[in-house]
Amino acid sequence: MHAIVIDDSRAMRMILRRLLGQLGFEVVDAEDGRAALELLSGMDPVPALALVDWNMPAMNGLEFITAAREDPRLHEMTMVMVTTESEQGQVARAIAAGAHAYVLKPFTTEAMIEKLALLGLVLTGAKR
Amino acid sequence: MSDHVTPTADNLRQIAEQVWAAYLDPEGVRPLLVGESRQAASAVSASVSLTGAWYGHVVVTCSSVAARHAAAAFLAMAADEVSDEDLTDVMGELANIVGGNVKSMLPAATAISLPHVVAGAGNRFPTTRQICELFGTWLDEPFSISMWQGRELAEVPAA
Repeated sequence: MHAIVIDDSRAMRMILRRLLGQLGFEVVDAEDGRAALELLSGMDPVPALALVDWNMPAMNGLEFITAAREDPRLHEMTMVMVTTESEQGQVARAIAAGAHAYVLKPFTTEAMIEKLALLGLVLTGAKR
Repeated sequence: MSDHVTPTADNLRQIAEQVWAAYLDPEGVRPLLVGESRQAASAVSASVSLTGAWYGHVVVTCSSVAARHAAAAFLAMAADEVSDEDLTDVMGELANIVGGNVKSMLPAATAISLPHVVAGAGNRFPTTRQICELFGTWLDEPFSISMWQGRELAEVPAA
């Protein structure tokens, strides 16, 4: 299964790549939404999962999710917002735009695995 | 009236505990020990600015040794493998995470900047005052998180 990590923080991309790799994903990454859309346009198959930061230069996570939802090629991609934006209004905006789930930073490995298990992307009880 | 609260050192402590549990000490064996202020011989300072409905800065400062250990823990590598880029990225991300969580306590129309990391002397923020600070040691090295609030723009005298 393929996944894409979209975050302007190289450190966070490394953490998420490592975590997803341990769960068996083949992972690519991008440093903002615009770079992610360019990368995805050339990918076949499309990743099953996108972990998306909110605050990024060029194109932020909300703009990326909105654009991805308008692309029929990306309709099957599960998108999880991974961010420090915890206000209820922000969560609601992300879900309304098309995010399937929301994970707050800082997150533990266990919390991320639990979220991905709820989405049916990893087996329950997967270990780091 | 806004229903936001002014962040306190206790809020910073709670955020720090989450950061340590998630990234710097997931095994729970190397906690941040909150205590007295201690000056680092050499320091790394990472900050994010908050603007809009609230104006100020969140600053994470530690010794260069602690920063190297933080990068090693964050990136799951040995401390002697940590590059300057790793160190800068991780310190910036720590400031971003702490700042983002602080932002959730502030008025909704507050925006957060990209992180800024400096080595050597700490960040300085003219026309601000410190509103809270969390001091501690991590791996016997000084570590602090502080918040600085700016005066309203109207209060800042013209140059």
